Amino acid sequence: MITTLKKTRRHFLSSVLAGCAWLAVGNAWAQEDPVRIGFAISKTGPFAAAAQEQIAVYELWKDEIKARGGLNVAGAKRPVEFVEYDNQSKLDQSTRLYEKLITDDKVDLLLAPWGTPFQIALAPVVEKYKFPVVGNTAASVAVRQVQPGYIWFPTSAIPDKMAGELVKMMQQNNVKSAAILSNVLPFTKELKNFLEPELKKAGIEVKYSTEYPPSIKDMTSIVTQIRDAQPDAVLALSYPSDSILYEKQAHEIGIKAPFQFIAVGPSTHAYRQAVGAAANGTVTMGHWSPKREEWPNAKKFNDAFVERYKHEPDYLNASLTYLSLEILEQAVAKAGLDKEKLREVISTETFSTINGNIKFDGVQNTITPVAFLQIQDGSLELVWPDSLATSSWKPKTQ
Amino acid sequence: MGVLDVLFSGQLLFAALLTGALYAIVAVGLNMVYGTMRLLNVAHGDLVMIGAYGAYWFFTGFGLSPLAAAPVVAVGCALLGLVLYRLLFAQLLRTTGNPVQLEARSLLLFFGLSMVIQNIMATLETATPRAYQYLEVVYRVGGLAMTGNRLAALLVALAVCIAVALFLRFSVFGLALRGVIERPDAARIVGVNVERVHWVSVVLGFGVAGVAGVLVSMMEQFSPFIGFPFTIAAFIVIILAGLGNIAGGLIAGLLLGAIEVYGVALTSPNWRSVLLYGIFVFVLIVLPKGIFARRGRA
Repeated sequence: MITTLKKTRRHFLSSVLAGCAWLAVGNAWAQEDPVRIGFAISKTGPFAAAAQEQIAVYELWKDEIKARGGLNVAGAKRPVEFVEYDNQSKLDQSTRLYEKLITDDKVDLLLAPWGTPFQIALAPVVEKYKFPVVGNTAASVAVRQVQPGYIWFPTSAIPDKMAGELVKMMQQNNVKSAAILSNVLPFTKELKNFLEPELKKAGIEVKYSTEYPPSIKDMTSIVTQIRDAQPDAVLALSYPSDSILYEKQAHEIGIKAPFQFIAVGPSTHAYRQAVGAAANGTVTMGHWSPKREEWPNAKKFNDAFVERYKHEPDYLNASLTYLSLEILEQAVAKAGLDKEKLREVISTETFSTINGNIKFDGVQNTITPVAFLQIQDGSLELVWPDSLATSSWKPKTQ
Repeated sequence: MGVLDVLFSGQLLFAALLTGALYAIVAVGLNMVYGTMRLLNVAHGDLVMIGAYGAYWFFTGFGLSPLAAAPVVAVGCALLGLVLYRLLFAQLLRTTGNPVQLEARSLLLFFGLSMVIQNIMATLETATPRAYQYLEVVYRVGGLAMTGNRLAALLVALAVCIAVALFLRFSVFGLALRGVIERPDAARIVGVNVERVHWVSVVLGFGVAGVAGVLVSMMEQFSPFIGFPFTIAAFIVIILAGLGNIAGGLIAGLLLGAIEVYGVALTSPNWRSVLLYGIFVFVLIVLPKGIFARRGRA
């Protein structure tokens, strides 16, 4: 009898313990249920090189979330899990993969692909499924044609506004004449189309203007003609590889223009590594700097990036990517994962980011001004507008 | 620029020679592999990419100058060629008799190989563009300015192309190689060890592509996905020169460089592709065996 009682008690205790264990594990599983965040990006193909900084920032942010104990989803901390695909640098593949992420993988949140055409192509997809996504590395007047609602573009480096500001900056620095060389790809061509009338309006003489294909391998004839034209400014509306080609050949052939603007590339570490001291004095697009102390976490983000990847982040694309994640994070903290609530919060709230406050009107950021960076002694400095400047513009001497 | 300014510009001449010499050195390896075995090596540009990374690793890891690293990189690429020959190409050559079928199968094989090489490099190095600075000093002679690395690249590319052309012109192996290119069956009948010619061609071809990559890395930014334009340029050069014509390849490369640099200077940069591919299509239609093909040659 006693033995039976003991056995029953032991059985009861073990059952209770097992039950407790099951509850504990079950509860832990419930807590550990990750927020699934999906994106498709150019991991291979012609845009893979350009997309690297964006991928690097996504990874950095994911680990930061982990270190902070999870993503704050309306007050509850939850781990995050990436569902990521390679779009092979193909637009149709990108939109297909985002449809898959939404309908098949059923992710909770989306991150943007790399680049203007990919983000514009994503707009109808997120509109169709009512799935909000914060854009980042997209810059074109075409973004304004995107129906406002489920996608937002935080950059201020939009060609029409940038053209006006660049010309103002040139006027302030006594530029009377300019030479333009422009890659025929959409962004740089768009910039050229807005720059030419602005230059004319400002009375800046265009002494030389040419376009070239992305496949260009030698710029000797272009650079020689620019040297002979002796303009005060050179506006190289170029992409990273041809930006380097221009800068190296301009250094070799001896372009003396004190104002030299190179559109895409100089904001990256890889550019400064490739060109070295010859890059000093070059002005480029970009509206972020870790030196602006009033921008929360700007330096912290820079330091974390440098520690992890052993080089400085791209002042344009990396900072845009990180701030898009900050916007998403703050919106999720407030609205949770409900898509409509998220859309409402992103559309109406003001967000504190590494680039200062950001607020959207329609698809565009209404706070961040157009700004320009200059490479000075191997480092990037904000030189325009005065309200953001971390240093004053210096004439290029090399 | 006026026509006379263009024609008498030392700067344009330097640019044309450099562009042409790079085209020529990239094409040498492809010419040997395609010429001797009819293997459509569309991964050739990826070997150039491997060479670029090889130089970068030696430069950043050991502080070794790219010019000093070039022979080591060449040996590395040559060994890769040997391994691939033993594992893949020899098997393909043994099992495929028909040249047309061989070209089709090799196209698929090399396409796959190209994907694998690119993705291995992207895994090892990420797709982040790499670059380093070497010999950035600018030499000025009269009105001519030459950056040290571009001058060095020109001299090395010309030297390698001439050395390979002379070796194949005057050595017994060169005679055998030309025999295999022109009449593979006849070469076998007269006692040429065709298999040996095959693997030596792969080893030499891959090694020279590695050196081309070293030279490119001294001047340009590179990533795992830079190879394809080099492959296309190399195919244009060997079709201009005629299959297996290594000396002709050097001249065709220089000609292509001249067309690109002078053509752009006389027209517009936007005409670059029209000029290059226009010449390519013209030669394919009018001189399908290349501009240096001997009359009566097969």
